[in-house]
Amino acid sequence: MAEFTAEVFQNPYLGPGGTDLHAIVTITAQGVEGTSPEAAEIILVDTSGSMTGPALEAAKHAAQVAVDQIADGTWFAIVSGSHVAQRTFPYPNARLAMVPMEPGARAEAKRAISGMRAQGGTAMSTWLALADELFATVPQATRRHAVLLTDGRNESEPRARLSEVVARCAGRFQCDARGVGSHWQVDELREIATALLGTVDLIASPQEIAADFEQLVRASMARGVAAADLRVWTPAGGQVLFVRQVAPTLDDLTYRRTPVDPLTGAYPTGSWADESRDYHVAVRLPSKPVGSEQLGARVQLAVDGEVVVSGLVKALWSDDDALTAPINDEVAHYTGQTELAAVIQEGLAAKAAGDEATATTRLGRAVLLAKETGNDEATSRLRRVVDIEDEELGTVRLRREVDRLDEMALDTGSTKTTRVRR
Amino acid sequence: MSGTRTTRCPGCDEAAPPDARFCEACGAALDPSTAPDPAPAPAPERSVASSTTWTRPPSATCRACGGRVSADGYCDTCGTPTVPPRDHWAESPAPWVAGVCDRGVRHARNEDAMAIAVTGDRAVLVVCDGVSSAPDSDIASLAAATAARDALVDPAGARTSDALVAAAAAAEQAILDHVGDRAQRVDPPSCTFVASVVEGSRATTAWLGDSRAYWVPDGATAVPLTVDDSWVEEMVARGIDRAQAESSSQAHAITRWLGPDSGDHPPRVVEHDLDTPGWLLLCSDGLWNYCPDAATLTDVVRQALAPVDGGPADGGPATPASAAQRLVRWAVEQGGADNITVVLARHDGDTLHCDEVSDDATNEEP
Repeated sequence: MAEFTAEVFQNPYLGPGGTDLHAIVTITAQGVEGTSPEAAEIILVDTSGSMTGPALEAAKHAAQVAVDQIADGTWFAIVSGSHVAQRTFPYPNARLAMVPMEPGARAEAKRAISGMRAQGGTAMSTWLALADELFATVPQATRRHAVLLTDGRNESEPRARLSEVVARCAGRFQCDARGVGSHWQVDELREIATALLGTVDLIASPQEIAADFEQLVRASMARGVAAADLRVWTPAGGQVLFVRQVAPTLDDLTYRRTPVDPLTGAYPTGSWADESRDYHVAVRLPSKPVGSEQLGARVQLAVDGEVVVSGLVKALWSDDDALTAPINDEVAHYTGQTELAAVIQEGLAAKAAGDEATATTRLGRAVLLAKETGNDEATSRLRRVVDIEDEELGTVRLRREVDRLDEMALDTGSTKTTRVRR
Repeated sequence: MSGTRTTRCPGCDEAAPPDARFCEACGAALDPSTAPDPAPAPAPERSVASSTTWTRPPSATCRACGGRVSADGYCDTCGTPTVPPRDHWAESPAPWVAGVCDRGVRHARNEDAMAIAVTGDRAVLVVCDGVSSAPDSDIASLAAATAARDALVDPAGARTSDALVAAAAAAEQAILDHVGDRAQRVDPPSCTFVASVVEGSRATTAWLGDSRAYWVPDGATAVPLTVDDSWVEEMVARGIDRAQAESSSQAHAITRWLGPDSGDHPPRVVEHDLDTPGWLLLCSDGLWNYCPDAATLTDVVRQALAPVDGGPADGGPATPASAAQRLVRWAVEQGGADNITVVLARHDGDTLHCDEVSDDATNEEP
């Protein structure tokens, strides 16, 4: 039996005239595993010409390991992608576009994968469009997940074409995106993963692909709830300033709002395993007299249109500075983590554009924020890109010789947050 | 709602169909059978003549905007929290008698209580104010007010002044019955006491502490009926200059109260003839602290009695219910530093209080 809980962390006290309320809402799902609705899984493997050699062999091995992880009964397909997409399994001439996993299909799929050849360019929109078509043949499978692996940039089509298809696929299936090596574009895969409610990550060397795929598919199989929405209710006269997922990764949901009723908006969160996610919700209310109390927001999770859990964000107006001044620890922590991600991305973009002054100040700020928020992983990734002169002051020098992989690791890792030490 | 011909909301005086359970305008409960019990004290046995009507119904109507209240306790439209029934309630057992008891703004809970009852042209009005320095005094005040009212509704032939003294003793016993072991504390639950019995044109009032009764004749200045049992008044009685006494840090400390450590002082009792039309007002210090002298209080009461502007009773005369509500709202607007209780009874001079024309009056028509 799936159970959901919501915890709210906030300082509800607003000073006289105060309007803006911030809260971290932790939503935890338990008992979700095993309640799985019908699922569908597609592995999208880059087979463009650049993959020739050890990369393709590693990708094929990884796809086979992933096939082993797909549970019996799950609808699945394997797609090889270059400047066009082709269904590798079920075989292109097969009657069914997707088949349910069983031992025979598993063995046959692995055989099909071993016959993949590398050639042509890279147009990822075609891969996603084919996945969307395949998923559409199994409407009974409400939980749909894809893994996309590439080693290069999306060179065979305009960026707008990719964006268009990504937008079309949003809400139809989820996709984790992985880049292997140092020749792919972080922003391209980030766009795919963000819109399709997945994660983006760097796989430094081909030997690591199999372990990553195994973990990704296992995590996908563990998810039980097909699609849940975060709902945010604000009182009449109030407005949502932003809604962000802040843990385990950063994801700004603000502009993915669809209205439920005039006071409530829904934000898609994809499917859930037994896990915990933190959301930072900020709302603006018309100020009320000192002594007033008001519910500032209800932050809820809805599964299949039913609200399963609700967290209450409250506002209490007070003229006592001792109550109104403190910023809640969780809110402060995640505000810092959000800024950390922003300054890392801005710093790396400035560096790529040759603006060393901006890069130095942004990455310096990142060093300071990583220290303040206890994000040691970010600190160690930053150390590979900058020489830290003073961690407390955030003064750094850009390193002259930087491995591109280290910069990409810093970029892709920027949205991974650490939780508050409680 | 015995004794009333028309169904009107005790909270806002909006007219309602006879079978309505909740006021359309403010969401107040209209049917006592749907009213929740006052927490945390156990529900007292209600006198037949009284009608306790909480303005916080268990139903789902927001008092701020009329929206639906969600199961989580907040309005689905404006987010206003529902308040516990004890935090704000109104009673109006007859059209000429009403009271409102409110938490105010600054205090976390309402330690004031009131209990009123009407039988014919006889009214019993009780206000008790829990001593805020003694924890759990909200229990004491509600138990005391209810017990005193019930003792006064049927005094079994005793003289009214004696009945009031007996009612104070009954109230103190009720406190002991309700607070249990808490009676042994250094600061046991305690409260003030002021009770008036209006019989025809005579009001008999008893008190302990600093909750007050005033007679407010139409067109004249209010007459204080009580003298606070407070440090200030004791100093003044000993000849100390009032201004000097009031500047003391313990000026507001009360010297008499009801409770386990009260010392069993009987209340002081006064009788007052209501020889003109006017209003009998009982209140806790949550009101009079904002208008401590009789002249200011008179002005404040006059404003509360002005014809109602806007709303369902636009242009109509003030009723005890609307005036009590306005006085409480006024005190809230002044800052609401303490709990506020206001009880009002209208006296129409020589005629009886009934707002209906009697058969005798009809016969006397020229």
